[in-house]
Amino acid sequence: MNPDIKLRVSNVEKSFPGVKALDKINFAVRKGTVHVICGENGAGKSTLMKVINGIYKQDAGQILIDEKVVQIDNPIQARSLGISMIFQELNYMPEMTIEESLFVGNWPKDKYGKVDWKEIRKRTVELLEKENLNYNPETKLKDLTVSDIQMLEILKAISYNSEIIIMDEPTSAITNKEVEVLFKKIYELRERGTAIIYISHKMDEIFRIADEITVFRDGTVVDSRPKEQYDLETVITQMVGRKLENVFQKEEIPLGDKVLQVKNLTDASKFKNISFDVHKGEIIGFAGLMGAGRTEVMRALFGLENYEAGEVMINNEKVRIRNVRDSINKKMVMLSEDRRRFGIIPVRSVKENVSLSNLKKFIYGGRLHAEEENQTAADLCKKMNVKTPSLETTIESLSGGNQQKVILSKWMVTDPDILILDEPTRGIDVGAKHEIYKLMMMLAKQQKAVIMVSSELPELIMMCDRIYVMAKGEITGMLTRDEFSQERIMAYATATKTQ
Amino acid sequence: MNAVNKDKLWTSLKSKYSIYMVLLALFLISWLANENFVSAENLMNISTQISVGTILAFGQTILIICGMLDLSSASVLALAGVLSVSTYKMTGSLTLAFLVAISVGVICNILNGLMVTKFKAPPFIATLAMMTMARGAALMYTNGQNIYQIGGYTVFGQGRVFGVPAPILFMAVLLAVTWYLLKHTVFGRSVYAIGGNEEAANASGINVDKIKMRAFIINGILVGIAGVLFMSRINGGMPNGAIGYEFKALTAAVIGGTSFTGGIGTASGTLAGAFIVGFLDNIMVLVGVNSYLQQIVRGAIIALAVIYDIWAKTKRTKRKLGTVEAK
Amino acid sequence: MKKWLVITLIVSLMATLLVGCSQPAPQQAPTPAAEEKKVYKVAYIARAQADSFAAWLANAVVEEAAKYDNIQLEVFDGQASDDTENSLIENAITNKYDVIVVQPNNGEAQRPYVEKAVAAGIKVITTNARISNIPGSSSVDADPYMQAKVNADLAVKQVPQNANVVVLQGPPGNFHADARRDSWQKEFFDKRPDVKIVGEEIANWNKDEAMNYMETWVQANDKIDAIIAMNDNMAAGALEVIKDNPKFANILAYGVDGTAEAVLLIKEGKMTSTSLQSAYDLATSILDTANKLATGAEKEINMDIDCPLITKDNVDKYIEMHKKAGAIK
Repeated sequence: MNPDIKLRVSNVEKSFPGVKALDKINFAVRKGTVHVICGENGAGKSTLMKVINGIYKQDAGQILIDEKVVQIDNPIQARSLGISMIFQELNYMPEMTIEESLFVGNWPKDKYGKVDWKEIRKRTVELLEKENLNYNPETKLKDLTVSDIQMLEILKAISYNSEIIIMDEPTSAITNKEVEVLFKKIYELRERGTAIIYISHKMDEIFRIADEITVFRDGTVVDSRPKEQYDLETVITQMVGRKLENVFQKEEIPLGDKVLQVKNLTDASKFKNISFDVHKGEIIGFAGLMGAGRTEVMRALFGLENYEAGEVMINNEKVRIRNVRDSINKKMVMLSEDRRRFGIIPVRSVKENVSLSNLKKFIYGGRLHAEEENQTAADLCKKMNVKTPSLETTIESLSGGNQQKVILSKWMVTDPDILILDEPTRGIDVGAKHEIYKLMMMLAKQQKAVIMVSSELPELIMMCDRIYVMAKGEITGMLTRDEFSQERIMAYATATKTQ
Repeated sequence: MNAVNKDKLWTSLKSKYSIYMVLLALFLISWLANENFVSAENLMNISTQISVGTILAFGQTILIICGMLDLSSASVLALAGVLSVSTYKMTGSLTLAFLVAISVGVICNILNGLMVTKFKAPPFIATLAMMTMARGAALMYTNGQNIYQIGGYTVFGQGRVFGVPAPILFMAVLLAVTWYLLKHTVFGRSVYAIGGNEEAANASGINVDKIKMRAFIINGILVGIAGVLFMSRINGGMPNGAIGYEFKALTAAVIGGTSFTGGIGTASGTLAGAFIVGFLDNIMVLVGVNSYLQQIVRGAIIALAVIYDIWAKTKRTKRKLGTVEAK
Repeated sequence: MKKWLVITLIVSLMATLLVGCSQPAPQQAPTPAAEEKKVYKVAYIARAQADSFAAWLANAVVEEAAKYDNIQLEVFDGQASDDTENSLIENAITNKYDVIVVQPNNGEAQRPYVEKAVAAGIKVITTNARISNIPGSSSVDADPYMQAKVNADLAVKQVPQNANVVVLQGPPGNFHADARRDSWQKEFFDKRPDVKIVGEEIANWNKDEAMNYMETWVQANDKIDAIIAMNDNMAAGALEVIKDNPKFANILAYGVDGTAEAVLLIKEGKMTSTSLQSAYDLATSILDTANKLATGAEKEINMDIDCPLITKDNVDKYIEMHKKAGAIK
């Protein structure tokens, strides 16, 4: 019995058909602390959080709040017990507006018992102003970016005044400025005595924010210590069960000719005078804050959106790309930021997702050449180290990292020269991230050109030859590898264009 | 690993082949219930009786897999049918009459396709509008009256080739065509992708509008052929014919495993669905089940099919969560 | 999203125009030259243009009305919807028609509106099928019980001893379907207890549904002596199935309506008899009644038209009738 302990997990177990997801889990979270949980994908962290949040029921063991056993049958009950959770896979209704989503299920009522829209508007405007978010409360969620929506999720949990807040990879889709704001809020909550469970893969974050760290592996708790008793190497070793090189060594790769040249790409409301180029074998990065316009530029390049002015040259030839197929034909492909929405066909198999962009390679002469399709998919999945029960498994069953690798395989089948990767390692565990970095290196070695849009500065600094920085729709600066530093990038990201 | 494998095998068997197992079970029960059920003539009758609805269902299947549907198919069938019969009476040419039916089916469906792709109308609304327009046009053309004395036109719906009724042959050929399109063409794969996730299909290089138009056009050809078979079988150009057949088609597709959320479905599954309804209708009449009860049974089958579809999908999602959380 | 709303509106507008245009050529009887003779406005509210009998009746009414120079007729389409038909009745009341003829979609649904018209002092005639027991309103109808009875009387004499018969019914709850079946029960089955019904199903007036049932019955029964159908469409459907089957060469077949298809089948010897529900006779009686009511010659008329039995003996004159109407070439 410990009055300090807000939440205790005692001998909790959970199994699914054929798999033991949680095996005798024991740990405790104190009031007024940030308790970080880390582990590879599939280690059991999300399962445990779903048990605590009432989405699953444990097979054995107990959950205790304030050292008293509680029954959590559903998320609404969890919320009434003071537990609130922000999910990694954002579940949102595209047609809902900001103010609706902030208060859904928790509507303030007027004296007649009807929903008080005036109150909702008032509180929404207050919240948005306080967080410095420049949105119309009537904006529909489908018109916001991924990072905006996540910000709102966090705001919602905070507005419930929960005493236990679980955050599952909350910074995976937001940029550094927003992370600072989030951390400030977390410190505030901590002062107030809230117990915060924070799941993350980002090593630098973990050590900044944590008071205590618990490491999961294969459904069990490996260890649980105060932060001071841990160091980075130990955490990683416990997570993967083996020593791992955390810092990825980028190799020197000789650069070839310019393969892509973009001149003054402009689309009034979104971006202006975007000019850059990429050489064969080069990895260039695009950094910037949320709303800087990077994704918009890439979508226009790839043919998903129109642009009003500017010139694009591939291999010194002027091209006009009006749709995705044009871009693929010109050997330029893009991995979208939102893979659930733009990347995968959830109900179809891994194999069908791999062949999707180059169907003519397997369907010709009046029929489907199934053996060739199988072979290609099998080869690529092996090369990319995709973990899947079989090629026929529906892709929605795979973890985020594996889905990402399948999507990359899909593009590889089209034999591209230029790959645009928009947030390629978002929501992916350390082990899988490294695999993606390795793949990027391999592509560069093959003299392909890689454009990486990312909100993780360490990752950009580690992988890129040059980094372009955007702010408010314009390119504010470009840094070569010897000039790289987080401060310089941030400076450009927050500047207004001077020239 | 072994326990997991066996579990997966049974589940995939269950999901892939469950509809055929139901069909087999129904066949056996019907055989036991009435000796007349298994005669060759009776089975051929059933096949003939479901042929028009099944051909329409093939078109629906393609559209539903693509994330759309067609509420106008029965009305367009009637319009194509009466114009086709009329053409035959005027020219005496079976070929011309057949082509007219197909043309009408295609034209109406091109209009459907334009409403959906160019004007972004939801397929439900667009085809609902066409449903009213086509029926109105059929009535206007015939002034509300039936066209009788159609002579040799009956060969399509009542003729036999080597003892097999022509509609069955049409149905078999169109089954093969639909299967081929879905499995062995770029068009087919694109249809599945668009239905599964239209935005991702677009971002993967698929020309969504073009494929949707093509799906409607293929549907139009099927509807036109169905129109010929229907009028030919009932020996008359009846503008009010086939009312409600679009729902027969939807029923067969859904029972056969075509999912309304898109991206899932097969031609053979739809055929099985059509036969399940056909067997049921037949055995209920042979045994002498009360008419009202028959209607209740038919409705219950649809409800069961839809509930099963949703349950299977939920199970799949639960399994997905299980797999993700485990190693 | 707004775009498709516009399209839907345009499309529904077009649909309405098309349906409206599907009314047959002479919409209105020509207005008479300026005379002191009073011209009476008559509204004919049809239940639907889509139903072939209703269309035939509407055409016939228009043709008949042209013969009266003191009657100006307008046809309205209830589009098989109670709401629409009721609104049309109300409009006719507001527009002060002298006579309103109502062919109900559903008698009980139109009853209160007909009563309103009567209360407003307008002469009302209900037809096909009449709405009974509205004081002050008139009616012209064919009696479905009689329509079936004339066939049943023949069947009592013709159907062999211990016969197997099949019965095809109209839509459930439909007044005509129910009355005809009731008639067959009382006038045939009750009088011939030796006859066995080996199959009875609802074919909803439809030829294809009747065909499907007959095909199945043929599988289960070697001996079927008669087809008893509540309308000609269904009888024709059943006959279509066995037309080339020598086992059923002598089958008897009875229907109701007197359609072009039926008279041809009777001429060919395939169908035994039907009774005519003549839209022409109905139209003649409706206009005559309308005229008498409008001019004040009569206060209230309730009448039935004849339902003559058509058999091989007298089928020729009915073939002529259909030829004149263009239904048979």
